[in-house]
Amino acid sequence: MTFRRWLATLTQMVQRPENRRFIISSCSVLMMFGAWVFVTKTGLANPLFLPGPEAIYLAFVDALFEGYQGSTLLEHVGTSLFRILSAFFLACLVGIPLGVAMGMSKTAHAIFNPFIEFYRPLPPLGLYTLLVMWLGIGESSKLALLFLAGLPGIIIATVQAVKDINPTYVLATKSLGASRMELIREVYLPGAGPTILTGMRISLGFVYTVLVAAEIVAATAGIGWMIWDAAKFLLSDIVIMGLIILGLTGIALDVIMRLIGFALMPWTRATRQFSKS
Amino acid sequence: MNKQCKALIAGLCMSVLPSVAIADKPETVTVGFLNLVNAQLVTKSLGLVQKEMPGVEIKYIKVGGGGDMLRAIAGDQIDFGGLGNPPAAIGVTRGLPIQGIMVLNMLDYVEALAVRTSAGIKSLKDLKGKTIAAPFGSTTHYLLLNALADEGIDPASMKIIDLRPNDIALAWSRGDIDAAWFWEPALGRVLEDDANLFNTSGLMAARGYPTWDVGVVMNEFAEKYPDYVTKFLKAECAGIDYWLNNPAETAVIIAKELGLDLDDATRMMKGTEMVPCAKQLTAQYIGTSEKDGGFVDTLVSTGNFLYEQKRLPAAASVEKMSNFIRPEYLESIVK
Repeated sequence: MTFRRWLATLTQMVQRPENRRFIISSCSVLMMFGAWVFVTKTGLANPLFLPGPEAIYLAFVDALFEGYQGSTLLEHVGTSLFRILSAFFLACLVGIPLGVAMGMSKTAHAIFNPFIEFYRPLPPLGLYTLLVMWLGIGESSKLALLFLAGLPGIIIATVQAVKDINPTYVLATKSLGASRMELIREVYLPGAGPTILTGMRISLGFVYTVLVAAEIVAATAGIGWMIWDAAKFLLSDIVIMGLIILGLTGIALDVIMRLIGFALMPWTRATRQFSKS
Repeated sequence: MNKQCKALIAGLCMSVLPSVAIADKPETVTVGFLNLVNAQLVTKSLGLVQKEMPGVEIKYIKVGGGGDMLRAIAGDQIDFGGLGNPPAAIGVTRGLPIQGIMVLNMLDYVEALAVRTSAGIKSLKDLKGKTIAAPFGSTTHYLLLNALADEGIDPASMKIIDLRPNDIALAWSRGDIDAAWFWEPALGRVLEDDANLFNTSGLMAARGYPTWDVGVVMNEFAEKYPDYVTKFLKAECAGIDYWLNNPAETAVIIAKELGLDLDDATRMMKGTEMVPCAKQLTAQYIGTSEKDGGFVDTLVSTGNFLYEQKRLPAAASVEKMSNFIRPEYLESIVK
């Protein structure tokens, strides 16, 4: 009886759309993992390039307790997260106000847009050489590179979000006698919020993509440096372990950002409910 | 089966068959050469490999350092390459499909520990608390750590950072580092600055830590085209002979290849020892197919050192290192 009820609830849970998506995702991840186990166990993959999951796990435990080249795994992750988050925070601090200004004023847009469009497609390593020349091999050049990687995504999303706001809201607010600051606080920021958040999430992804590049020069800690250093010694288990950790921290940060978004913008919760299929 | 499909398969067969049928001659030979001063630049500049291999396209790829070379080998992007003893020990221990076939160069003061004159560094102990750079995993990183270990200095008492030679020169001019063990031509740019030589790789060789670069060939290439391995060696030996017999002309070539002043090129040449091919087959170098030479010992001690540094998962195996060094190709052209 109880088993039947349990089964019924289980079927019900599986059939709920949001759970179904989770289950499908889990299955695809499990299958990928299964394929990994298969090609490594059967010897199809050269262990030098693709070690098995247990080798990755051992590398993880070793790095966690013994450390990799003078720093434990937590120190590496901490160093990198500190770099990523401070650069990203700075990028938001500069990018959102700049984006709002550029979205509201055509003049501001005309002033800043050429620079952003110009440096945005530049390869990070090319840019980095110059940053190292200007700022040296220390922390500042690394932060600058990460900052510059994160900035355009935020600005472009913010500009678009501000431009997309229904002009009726702006006119209505203005007709009630709102000042420019009130307009920004009451209309532009809340209206643009969800798109800005999406821009921030994409932007954080860009910051991640240049992390290894930023930690190649003269770093002695950081997950990107660990990956780069291990690759030099063909320690592919550490490389893959580092990449998995990088990916997982990226997902975690993304989830945190969405949660913060929900908390700051409660109205986006309602729209999400509607958009669910 | 429709026509298009047949045509596609026929096309595929035709594209695969010729390469199988004419296996005695490779279409292209890719040589990865290290960005340092040795006779490979002469061989390259005079087109000696091309002369030995008519009808074969010769590609030269400049590789920044040992780490990049290992990646190029692992990615199967080159046929011939060059490795210093630490990357060679790493590659062999990790089972990369390569064999060492010749001595490219013995490293003397072409690689050196430069210290900032104004920093007042008189002994290795003075490096404590300073920032020192070396390309990690290279010959010079290996020598730096060994030099410190010999004097009982804890490497953790200073900040040792990983920089590539060109970045070292850049960081030096900015004043970010006080000492660096690296190589020409970037070394020369630093020495014009507030710097003097403190230790050289040649001095370390005399203390029992020889460093060198070994020419390697991919196993697959060597099995498929053994004749072309000997052709390659003939060309490189001719380059070495040219270097030894025509120093003035060689300096002009080196200067041109690396974009240096003639004086700098001449100085760098003196800092590198080229070993004539016949001499390479002696006990000090790669030995003979009957008896291992000193290169195997160096590889074993380098491998063990890297294992202690936790850069390698296993200690070096004498057998692996001995199997890696293949003097027989060189023997076939010297005798």
